[in-house]
Amino acid sequence: MTLELFFFYVYALVAVAGAIGLVAARQLVHAAMSFFATLLAVAALFLLMGSQFLAAMQLFVYGGAMTVLVLFALMFTGASPDGGKQTSRAIRWLGAIVAASFFILLAAAFASAGWMVSPSQPMSVEAIATIMFSRLVVPFEIAGLALTIALIGAIVLAREDDVLGNGELAEKVGGDA
Amino acid sequence: MITLNHYLVLAAALFSIGLYGVLTSKNALRVVISVELILNAVNVNLAAFSVFVAPRQAMGLNFVVFFMVIAAAEFGLALAIIISLYRTEDIGAIDALRKLKG
Repeated sequence: MTLELFFFYVYALVAVAGAIGLVAARQLVHAAMSFFATLLAVAALFLLMGSQFLAAMQLFVYGGAMTVLVLFALMFTGASPDGGKQTSRAIRWLGAIVAASFFILLAAAFASAGWMVSPSQPMSVEAIATIMFSRLVVPFEIAGLALTIALIGAIVLAREDDVLGNGELAEKVGGDA
Repeated sequence: MITLNHYLVLAAALFSIGLYGVLTSKNALRVVISVELILNAVNVNLAAFSVFVAPRQAMGLNFVVFFMVIAAAEFGLALAIIISLYRTEDIGAIDALRKLKG
């Protein structure tokens, strides 16, 4: 076993263990923190693939911003709003069967696929940027627009209804509910 | 030597665990985080295919970057919906969304 493969297994183990912690932890804070471990392990896997840019983006976007967002949302909604509510055992078993059979299906498909694999080489940031700012420049701009619209929408959705104090918006929302 | 299948099986495992989380969680926040886990598994898949199958073009890596943008937008919106849901209903349970049927 080469050193590379050893580290792959270490990171894969951390990723899967963190993912299981996400779905299994009783406390939501614990679930969020084990999801953070998964994100870090995936960033390490991107590094193993030789794409440093993706590893950095994974750390910034997922490891940094999203984890902070999750913790903020937890602060707003209370740390454990499960409140003793658990999904019934039957539904959990059904979900486990669906997920396990889906995994087996995918693994069997991968095992019999026979990809045309080329020798991998490290991908520079320049190679990504060349495509992003030439062939994909229009999707790039649209992605920026979509992100802006989504964040404005998030602010509108999440703010207090009566933020101006004149009761107009609260009346409107209250009338529907 | 790490092969393409190593990454694919790992991504499939992460995807399946995320699927389990989406299907069985009562808590809305945990459902959203599980969706993020699924998107992350897809990212691993895309990057692995890009690096192993078409290493001369960085197209797959670009897809990953776009996926991250979309995931961030989706995540922000989902959290906003959860927070406003909590504000009106005072619960974080996903069952509260049944009220949206009207």
